[in-house]
Amino acid sequence: MTHPGELLSAFLDGELDHRERNQVTEHLGTCSSCADELNGLHFARAAVRSLPLLEAPPGLTPAEDQTARVRTFTRRPPVWVAAAAAAILAFFVGIATILAPPTTLEVRLDQLSDQYGARTSLEPAITPRPPVPVLDRVSGPIE
Amino acid sequence: MPDVAPLSWEEVARAYGRKIYNFAYRLTGNADDASDLTQEVLLRVRKGLAGYQPGSFEGWLWRITRNAFLDEVRRRKRRPSAPLPDEIDRVSTHASPAPDQVLSTVRLGEDIQAALLDLPYDFREAVVLCDIVGLSYEEISAAVAAPIGTVRSRIHRGRKMLKERLQ
Repeated sequence: MTHPGELLSAFLDGELDHRERNQVTEHLGTCSSCADELNGLHFARAAVRSLPLLEAPPGLTPAEDQTARVRTFTRRPPVWVAAAAAAILAFFVGIATILAPPTTLEVRLDQLSDQYGARTSLEPAITPRPPVPVLDRVSGPIE
Repeated sequence: MPDVAPLSWEEVARAYGRKIYNFAYRLTGNADDASDLTQEVLLRVRKGLAGYQPGSFEGWLWRITRNAFLDEVRRRKRRPSAPLPDEIDRVSTHASPAPDQVLSTVRLGEDIQAALLDLPYDFREAVVLCDIVGLSYEEISAAVAAPIGTVRSRIHRGRKMLKERLQ
């Protein structure tokens, strides 16, 4: 096998198929140059992987309490459920209207009189006062 | 990794938000840019989840993430109010350290991050998706819309360049 070149990184990452892996392994046993190159690639990979996984700044991702609120919003029933519920409600209201006994609004004068006439008579504020003779106000000795 | 989409945007955001942030941070080297990019990606995920077709969720998610990043880079190229990742002058961060300092400092996160930022974008992206995010070559291929052979080449060449800068 010629020098594997770009296959070395894939070899390091386990991204070669069985046949390629065997060929590279066999070559590395006899080629110190490629073995050195593999060490260098390993070093570079280890350096990048040693970088710490940083925490995202606060507020960048949703908090737990917001999740519950938004979930409630996003998982509400679809529109057709609401439409079906409205149709069923309208149906039963119609049935109840048809089957209910007719009600009439009867207004009888004597009832109104009993209700409001009695109350009016008890209200001092609206009880008429007896008339006062005009002449009484100017009555007195005439000079 | 799951192959079906989680049920809600919140679950996606909680499960992948940190990874997306790390992906963005390692590509940009800047916390503010990484936050902005993560927000943009999560917004796009929220819009896109309704139309998501069951399949490789990882590929779908990282394709959105990558496209959001590239869109942001293009947007800033049109209005360069802030330096782009590839335009940041990093000469000072690689001012030839003394040989006796190399071994003692090479593993500091800042040096590795700086070496990553020195890579051409395609190589950096492939290395980050492989070694930071932990995607397989096949998933990276789906995310960046490139053949697996191209992905393999980018990772290999990226690591070789990293090794030269770090050793």
